[in-house]
Amino acid sequence: MNFLDKILPFIQFGFLTKIGFLAVDLFFVLFLVVAVRQVYAMNSIISGSGNPFIIKLAVFVLLFVAVSLFLTALVIL
Amino acid sequence: MPDIFIAEPTEGIAVAPNESAPLVDDEGIQSPQNPVHLFSAFKKDPDGINFQDKEDDEKIILFIRRSFITNVKWIFFGSLLLVTPLFLPLILRFFPNPLPFLPNKSYFFFVAFYYLIIATYWYINFISWYFNISLVTDKRVIDIDFSNLVYKDVAATKINLVQDVSFAQIGAIRTFFDYGDVLVQTAGTLDNFTFESAPQPENIVHITEDLIGKRNELFG
Repeated sequence: MNFLDKILPFIQFGFLTKIGFLAVDLFFVLFLVVAVRQVYAMNSIISGSGNPFIIKLAVFVLLFVAVSLFLTALVIL
Repeated sequence: MPDIFIAEPTEGIAVAPNESAPLVDDEGIQSPQNPVHLFSAFKKDPDGINFQDKEDDEKIILFIRRSFITNVKWIFFGSLLLVTPLFLPLILRFFPNPLPFLPNKSYFFFVAFYYLIIATYWYINFISWYFNISLVTDKRVIDIDFSNLVYKDVAATKINLVQDVSFAQIGAIRTFFDYGDVLVQTAGTLDNFTFESAPQPENIVHITEDLIGKRNELFG
């Protein structure tokens, strides 16, 4: 039984879907981390131009949802 | 003449504060009287704004963002994407199993991820508008450009280097909603500033011209 025969049962669409989804979600989490950094950088350039609390809260909520989705997919999918 | 009505003493009843008096909270910190709100696009003499390298005696005269009406495009497009999954049952009636290779439990994750992308799309567009700010102070003109998380540019010029201010308001929508592009021309080879889709462009030009005039009167 060669290596390909061993791994062939795992390489199915369900498994690939999981890997693909996790990879895309991970990139999305990284993108949101960049967003957090940029929001903080812009708030240090200019402050008092609205409500920074809501702006920061919104990006952290998005980040929380993305990380939750990643972890849930890691376990369930 | 007998009194018809005598007001009862108002002990213990709060009296409305004088509008011109500064508002001070419990900790003794003076709160701004003319603050910039989350959706403010134009504010004259705003309070509470601070930016990098702001001098102590520098006063902000104008706070400008793009007119909020320019956000309608992405709000509408995002809303369209938001309601698109509602038509999914209709599509499934004609194509019962469009993605047969996907396990059933993965559909939830794809739908959740789809909505997360829409929310992020809204957020990124909103902060691109929110952080795109132009300021006119009594000493400088400052233009902060920020778009799509990857582009950030802060430019400033002294007010006495500003030579001319003009605006262009082209089109029925811009005229109806009173917004347009304001061009601030600076001396020599320095970059010009453009406040794109600024609300009340005529007002901005008048105020900036007054400011340039005052500086010229003061410094010849």
